[in-house]
Amino acid sequence: MSEQVVRSKRLFFREAIACALEEEMAKDPRVFVLGQDVGSFGGSYREFDGLHEKFGASRVRDTPVAESAMVGIGVGAAAAGQRPLVCITYMDFMMLALDPLVNYGAKLRYKTGGRLTAPVVVKTTAGAKGQGVAHSQCIEAWLMSVPGLCVVAPSSPAEAYSLLRAALRHDGPVVYVDHKRLFPLAGEVTLGEIGTIGKAKIRRHGADLTVTTHSYMTRIALQAAEALQKQGVSIEVIDLLTLAPLDVETITDSLEKTGALLTLEEGQSTCGVGAEVIARVQEIMGSVRCTRVSALRAPVSSNPVLEKACLPDTARVVDAAIRLLKKTAHERR
Amino acid sequence: MIYQLTVPAVADVEEIRVLEWHGEIGHRFHVGDLIVELETHKAIVEVRAGQPGIMRVVMLQAGDWQQIGEPLAIFSDNEEEEVSAQAASALVVEFQVS
Repeated sequence: MSEQVVRSKRLFFREAIACALEEEMAKDPRVFVLGQDVGSFGGSYREFDGLHEKFGASRVRDTPVAESAMVGIGVGAAAAGQRPLVCITYMDFMMLALDPLVNYGAKLRYKTGGRLTAPVVVKTTAGAKGQGVAHSQCIEAWLMSVPGLCVVAPSSPAEAYSLLRAALRHDGPVVYVDHKRLFPLAGEVTLGEIGTIGKAKIRRHGADLTVTTHSYMTRIALQAAEALQKQGVSIEVIDLLTLAPLDVETITDSLEKTGALLTLEEGQSTCGVGAEVIARVQEIMGSVRCTRVSALRAPVSSNPVLEKACLPDTARVVDAAIRLLKKTAHERR
Repeated sequence: MIYQLTVPAVADVEEIRVLEWHGEIGHRFHVGDLIVELETHKAIVEVRAGQPGIMRVVMLQAGDWQQIGEPLAIFSDNEEEEVSAQAASALVVEFQVS
């Protein structure tokens, strides 16, 4: 029995993506990439660097800006036996691709009694970073309710790599959501690791409060944890990693310990990731002391002052945590 | 005089990876000479000499990672100047970055 040598390498977020794709494309000739600027340009964030050179234009295909057509083609190619990755540069424009993604991709298994599936990965970049109301959205919560659709959201280079490899091997469809603000990050990547879709990770252990988070907000949660530690409050940070299917067990296990829940997301709280987490947890455990931290109820402006005011930051998370713990302590008396 | 090259501040960049040094210890750089190429998440940054100097100590090798503002190398006006004990007091100067 041969053992694969486990190598750890420090990589930029974009390199983790390129690495995962290169390995899957080398291994499986059915994997190909569709998107704007994915070819010789190497990707909007250089996340496809080197792939066009290595695998050629038939497997790394530049498309016009036509999200509905791109996903439709991806779903169709997947149904016909390929394993495409369709890259939607801005998650905002996923809205244009919802019909082919949901009505054809996600439902294919159900419509054909399992005879056809659509193993397509739709990779998309969410998040606010100065580009205004139509280029800043985090709408992953909208996708969580679609039967047949998997949604994953890495928060660091390690999972950018491992979850992408897992997504490309999945029956699909899988929506892989990364974030504009994750690309400047670097981190250790375990080369060869295939992630587990459907499993959350505890990033920091704590006793007083459970915080669930995903994507870039994981960094905010960990910064808040440091700040709260100085005030004598210890929080357990759970990085969801997969939004659909949600790893509710890891969350309820944590709540057995802490008894209080703060959900953190960059998207809207109404029908958001946190709303689903809280509903699921309460169905299992009964009433749980909880609060949601999210964007304010407004589109995110390109104006830096307004953008900053709209998005959750470390201070807001710390404030919300303290208020939740104070409120529940008071109510218990 | 001893001078310290630190990782230059680049917009939207937190850390870099050293790509390639363009000179060895003892090399005399002139104004505008390319000293080192640094990789960021976006592009490669070229660091050029803003003043003449001899490279005396190199803290990082190609492939090493470093944060913005941290030391990369020590330069001196003359090759006879003692550098080892004085690295900490070396003057941090501006280098040309593109």
